[in-house]
Parts: sequence; C-alpha cells; structure tokens
Amino acid sequence: MTVEFRALHKSFGATKALDGLDLTAHQGELLALLGPSGCGKTTALRMLAGFEKPDSGQVLVDGEDISDVPAHRRDAGMVFQAYSLFPHLTAADNVAFGLRMRKVGAAERRSRAAELLELVGLPQHADRYPHQMSGGQQQRVALARALALRPKVLLLDEPLSALDAKVRVQLREEIRRLQQELAITTVFVTHDQEEALSTADRVAVMRDGRLEQCAGPAELYDTPSTPFVAEFVGTMNRLPGRASGDGSVEVLGQRLPVRGDAGTAGAVDVLVRPEAVDATADEDGSARVTATAFHGAVTRLTVALADGTTVKADIPSHRASGLAAGASATVTLPERPVLVEARAA
Amino acid sequence: MARLTNRRGIRWWRGAVAAVAGLYFLVPLACSVLFTVDVPGQGFTLSAYTGILGASGFTGSLLLTLELAAATIVLVLGLLVPALLAARLGAPRLRPLLEVVCSLPLVVPSVALVAGYSGVLRWGPQYLSRTPLFQTFVAVQNADFPVVLVLAYTVMSLPLAYRALDAGMRAVDVRTLMEAARSCGASPVRAVFQAVLPNLRGALMNAGFLTLALVLGEYTVGALLGFRPFAVWIVGIGGSQAQLSVAVSVLSLLLTWALLLVFAAAGRPRTRIPRRALAKAAPALVPQESAS
Amino acid sequence: MISAVKSRLGGGLAVAPLLLFMGVAFGLPAVAIATGAFTTSADAPGGVHWTLSNLTTSVHGAYLTALWGSVKLSALSALLATLLGVPLAQAVTTSSSRALRDAVMSASGVLANFGGVPLAFAFVATLGNAGVLTTHLGLAAKGWSLYSFWGLVVVYLYFLLPLMVLTIAPALEGLRAGWREAARNNGATAWQYWRHVALPVLAPSLLGGYVLLFGSAFAAYATAAAMVGSSVPLLTSQIADALSGNVLVGQGNVALALSIDMVVVAGAVMAVYVPLQRRSARWLA
Repeated sequence: MTVEFRALHKSFGATKALDGLDLTAHQGELLALLGPSGCGKTTALRMLAGFEKPDSGQVLVDGEDISDVPAHRRDAGMVFQAYSLFPHLTAADNVAFGLRMRKVGAAERRSRAAELLELVGLPQHADRYPHQMSGGQQQRVALARALALRPKVLLLDEPLSALDAKVRVQLREEIRRLQQELAITTVFVTHDQEEALSTADRVAVMRDGRLEQCAGPAELYDTPSTPFVAEFVGTMNRLPGRASGDGSVEVLGQRLPVRGDAGTAGAVDVLVRPEAVDATADEDGSARVTATAFHGAVTRLTVALADGTTVKADIPSHRASGLAAGASATVTLPERPVLVEARAA
Repeated sequence: MARLTNRRGIRWWRGAVAAVAGLYFLVPLACSVLFTVDVPGQGFTLSAYTGILGASGFTGSLLLTLELAAATIVLVLGLLVPALLAARLGAPRLRPLLEVVCSLPLVVPSVALVAGYSGVLRWGPQYLSRTPLFQTFVAVQNADFPVVLVLAYTVMSLPLAYRALDAGMRAVDVRTLMEAARSCGASPVRAVFQAVLPNLRGALMNAGFLTLALVLGEYTVGALLGFRPFAVWIVGIGGSQAQLSVAVSVLSLLLTWALLLVFAAAGRPRTRIPRRALAKAAPALVPQESAS
Repeated sequence: MISAVKSRLGGGLAVAPLLLFMGVAFGLPAVAIATGAFTTSADAPGGVHWTLSNLTTSVHGAYLTALWGSVKLSALSALLATLLGVPLAQAVTTSSSRALRDAVMSASGVLANFGGVPLAFAFVATLGNAGVLTTHLGLAAKGWSLYSFWGLVVVYLYFLLPLMVLTIAPALEGLRAGWREAARNNGATAWQYWRHVALPVLAPSLLGGYVLLFGSAFAAYATAAAMVGSSVPLLTSQIADALSGNVLVGQGNVALALSIDMVVVAGAVMAVYVPLQRRSARWLA
C-alpha cells in the first residue's frame, strides 16, 4: 500500500496549514512526519484519515484518489493523542467497536479482540475500563483498536506525547516491532525528533505547510539539506564565517569547503554539530570554557569564542580533564564540507 | 472543520433553538414589566414602582430579610471554612464525613424541614415550660429577629455553600499555599488569613452569593413558621395590590442579577478559578429552588 | 507524633462547631419528624402513644391524590425540561461565541434560582386571568388557565430548563472530539456514533439530571403556593395545610408523616443521582 500526497493545499481562515505538500509513503515503511507545531503535519495525517478535505491537491492510495471517500469508509486505522478510548466500553469492547459497526457476530468479535489485545501485550486487561488503565495501557488498547479492521494504513497522531518518558520509549519500540511484524504502511506524526529518528524508516521534516527534506534518519542527521532541518534535528552550532562565493568559507581561521549552495558570499553562519567541534586545552587560546556537562562517554563543553559567540563541543570524557570551566582553549573544526546560511542583516 | 454548507446548517439550527428559548425566557419578564406600567383604566403609570417604598411593611420585611441574610452568611462561612480547611490541611479522613453531613439537607425538602422545626418548637410549651430552656425557645422565635430562621436558612444553604467552597479549594491547592506561606515564616494563623483566604476569594464570594440568593427568595420556612420576611410580604400584598407585587418581583429579580454581578466582580480580580472548576461548581447552584 | 496528635486535635476542633450545629439545627427537627410521624398528636383522644396510623393516613385519600399529583407534575415537567434542555445546552456549548456561552450560563444560574414567589408573580402577570398575554391573545376564551396542572408545568419549566442546562452543559463539553473521530475511523456513521458512543456516554448525566430536576420540582412549594393556592393538589401544599392546622382534630402529626413521605422520595432521588454523577464525572473528567 503506497500513500501519496500531491500538491496539497489547505487554509483555515488566514492560516495556511498546508502549502503545496508533496510526499510519498512506500509499502510497508514507517514514515515519520516531523516538525514544529503548526507546520501542517497533523493536518496532512487528518486528510489521509478523511477528517479534513484539501482545498486543492490529491491524496492517493495505491494510485487512486480517495478525496471523496468519507472517513468511516477509509481503510486507515488511527491512534489519537490520548484519551480517545470510549469511556463506557471495556478494553475488549473498545477494540471490537469497529467490528460491531460492521455487524460482525459477537463470538468473532470476542476472539478477534482477544487476539489483538494479545498482540499489544494486554491479554489480561480485556475487561478493564479505560479509567482503570494507565496512559500507556490505554494507548496500547487504542493501537489494537486501530488495527482491528485490518487497515491498509496505520496513522499515528502523536500517540506518545501524553505519556511518561520511560513508557514513551517502551511503547515506541513496541509500535516499531508491531509495524514491522505486520508490514503495514504507517504514517507517524510527532514533534519529537528523537522519537522520529529512532523509530522511522524515513523522516519527513515539514515547515510552514511544506516538505523541507525527506530522508532516512542517518542521512537527515549527517547531511541535512537545509539549515532549518539541520537545526531542528539534533543540536547545531552557528559560527560566524565569511564565504568567498567560490565554494569555500573561512571560519575559526580555517578554510573549509561549502556543502550545497556554493554561491553564497559574504557574512554567513556556519552550521556544525557539537560532535564535529574539537576543543583542546591551550593557555594561549582565545576561547574560554564557560561550562561543562558530563554525559558519560562524552562531555559537552560550552565555550565562549573571542568574539562572544557560544559554541557547544562534545569531546571524549577522558580528554576533558584539562578543560574545566574557566580554562583557556582552542577550538577547531575537521576538514569536511560544512553547511552555511547567509547571515540575516 | 466542517464544510461551509454543513456549518450553515448548524448555525441555522442553533439560531432557532436560541430564539425559541429566548422568547420563552424573556416574554414573562417583558410582560411583567408591561403589566406593572400599563394598568387597565389608568394607562401608562409608574405608580406601582413609586408606591413600593410607601407600601406598609416593605421596609420592615426587606430589612429583616437582609439582616437574616447577613447573619446566615456569617454563620455558614464561619462553620464551613474552618471545617473545610482543617479537612484539607490536617485531617483528610474528615472529608467524607463533611460531605455527607453537608449533603444531608438535600434529602429533607424545606417543607419537611419546617414541619420538623414546628415539631421541635412545640416541645417548648409541651415539655419545657418550667425549665430555663423555655426562655431560649421564646428568644429564638422573637418576631423582630427570629433566630430560628437563621438556623433553618443555614441548614438549607449548607449543601450549596459546601460545594462552592469545596470546588474553590480544589482549584487553588490549599495545602501547597499553606506550606509555601509557612516556609516563608508565617504563623499558621497568618498563613490562613494572608495566603489561603485571599486566594479563596472567588469561592467565598460564590458561597456568599448562593446563600444570599437563597435567603432573599425564601418563602416556605418564613411563611409556615408565621414570620414575615420579604417573600412572605410580597405574597401578602399580592392579593390586594397585584401591580405592586409584580413590580416588587421584577425588582427582586433585577436585584438578584445585580448582586450576582457584584459578587462575581468582587471575586474575580485576585483569583481566576479555572473553567473546569467553575463547571463543577455550577451544579452547586442546583437544588436551590427546593428551598423556595 | 506530637504534631500529628496536635493536628488531629486541631482538625477536630475546627469541625466540631459544624457538627454541633447540624446536631441541633438539623438533628433535632429530624428527630421531631421521625418521632412525631409515629406517635399520635397531643390532642388525640387516647393521649400520646406509638402508632402507624399517621403514615397510613398519609398515603390514603386526599393525601394519596396529592402525592400522585406531585409525582405526576414533577415527572412530566422534569421530562420536558430534559428533552428541551439538551438541545438548548448543545446549542450553547457548541457555539463559537464565548460571550454568548458565558451569558447563557450565568443567566441560567440566576433563572435556576428564580423559583418561588417572583416567578409565580411574573407568570401571573403574563398568563394569569388578567395577564398581559391572556388578555391580548384572548387565551381565556380558548380554555387556558394558568391555575391548572399544565399551567404549573409551564411555570416549572422556567426554573427547570436553566437547571438542566447547568447540569448537562459540562457533560456535553466533556464529549471529546477524539471520540467522534475514533468512531468514524472505526467505520461508524454519524448516527452510529450518537447511538453507540455519545448517548451511552451521556446517559448517566442525562438520567442524573432528570432525577435532580424531578427532586427539585417535587420539593418546590412557594411557586405553587403563591400562584394556585391549593387548586392543584400537591404534597407540599398538603403538608403546609396540615401545619397550619387545617386537619381533623388529632391528626396534627399527619404533616410529619407526609414529611417522611417526602424525605423518602428525596432520599431515593439522591440515592439514584449520586452514583450516576460519580460515574459521569469519571467518564467525562
């Protein structure tokens, strides 16, 4: 089952929720829609579920336009943010709700519900009511309910955002395992980049109703194609530099090649991840360590450069001993192409 | 978001419901006003309103009712606030007991309550006429200020006032306020008066208003025990001066409305009770007319 | 340890006045009702002794008629208020105008408390024999009388409807958009959503609201007293009559037996209402 968004536009009054979204989710993959709130990711998902109608553009499932199919006839199971279980029904009845709507017999409903609750790891909770279950358990039941009608697509609308950190990690691994087991095409909306990177096959970063970049987690992290993606995914330093216009940039006294748009010239921000920044203790260095935070294998240094710019650098903890707060240091970058952005005037 | 056509349909339906409801609720009020100013045979006149002040018994009964209301509010808050605070702060096991005790009056409608009161009052002359307690029985029935009405009104107000205060205390987390004030060096008494009570302003106002509204409109107990508070007076003149009694009724409704606004405004600036807590407090307005 | 004892003592001291007050101002009348209802009155021929005859009398003859009249009036007006109040509350809660919503809710707060004397006179002025609508529309010729069973129903709706709006609005607001969408997502049509989700979820609130309205109407006295006197037989007016001495010699305690009848009904109302309210709060919180 392939899902395709084609040139989707949607406005709510004066706000543009989608401004020409093009995106494809392939058969059996878990595609995460990632972006800040208001970027249109939820609107896109709700269009796929049939809760919103696009102003223009198409939603295609296996090449077929489903824009006119009403929500209750779409083959898409959805898990909502939280508290979407019907409060007057037990876990089993919640799971079997869709089957009841389709007039499936009671015996078959029961066995199917039991099977699904088993699948999400709650076989003994069939007779519990939602208010008798924890948030994580409720979302597992919601997942079972979404799968009850054997949908061709699974839609997840920030299903973990209301849960505790520990449960969140557990459940996202569980979702990933189930999704791979069932090989079901899944669209997963989240604003949590760690969640997206750790579960998805591909991550689509959205901004202002458009797609910024869609790629595998590693590619997205290592070679973000735009400054927005670079800063939204992971931590990013901005160092002042000067681009020459011929594809190189001068930063921290080094000359490095520019990745992507080589034509930029003049004052730029050079974008580098903390783990790509190296700092060494140096009595004559112009930079000064202002804070350190121990993270196990690495230690994150906060370093103030001579011009006042603050840089974060992750260095192996065994090398951090001479770099306590107040120490002088020299900051260098590896000889690799870097991403630049013209500095806002 | 619904589609445009759909939305228009919803709007139309809502408008119709609102219009019918508006008619039903506004027409009696409008007719009442019309009834008082358009007297058959006299044409337009404001005499019903100008005559109110001069009507015999008006000032006396209104003052009596206001005094009763003030005493009732003081008694209700004086009894409830310490008990509820104690239950929140030190003795959570008292809470179910308080809830049950304060809900008991809901089970005894005011007509039944007054039957009980008249039964008790008859004990005085029957069994106690030779004891000093008899003087108490006489005193509580003093027509100038019948304490027995304050007792009955307090009982009847308890369920409403309890729910209003309880909802308010739930919304502001009294315990944390108290602990914060104590950790800043306030004595328990100061902490209650300068940290807790100011934050309960809205709830106190709400409870006070509910009590006031109940006493202002109360007829049953006053009438059946033979006293003459405001509502009883209105019914009394209704037989002879229809225009006047309707005019007073209209005014008393407006007065209630005005008081509601005053109390709401007085409760607002320092505490904004969350909407959800208000919604929960709203049913506290509920069994009020059983007092009527 | 010491501070625990101290705080418990403090808690007890703070609660004691309330309990003492309730013991006197509520307990004594309750005892008076309970004992009086089961004893003959002081002026009875055989002196004061235990009896069930008051209670028997209270559910026979004119008293039974009055009890039945009260039940009928309360059940019917509460039903109408429920049926009409739900669409009204739905219209208000789904309104996009916050100002309208707040205005209606606070108006409901006042009108729900507008029972009693002022209400009676407002309707006398509107629909009574000399009322503005009665004379202008010639309603009397069409057989209309405010001082009748149906007249009382119309008047009772005036405070029962706002009461229903106040009671049910929080429940309607508690219906989550997520439930409707989850139902649609599971293949339910709009009708199936109402039938299988919304109505069952609202049922405790609806039933609880109805029972509460019934109780309010059943206990109401002033409105009917100020309006129709005793031309429509109601239990509350019978109690009032009996208290004022309008009973046969020796039957003074029948008023107390009638009060027991009322307490039983009111108690039953609370016994139904409280668990329903709990369940609805759990579902819709």
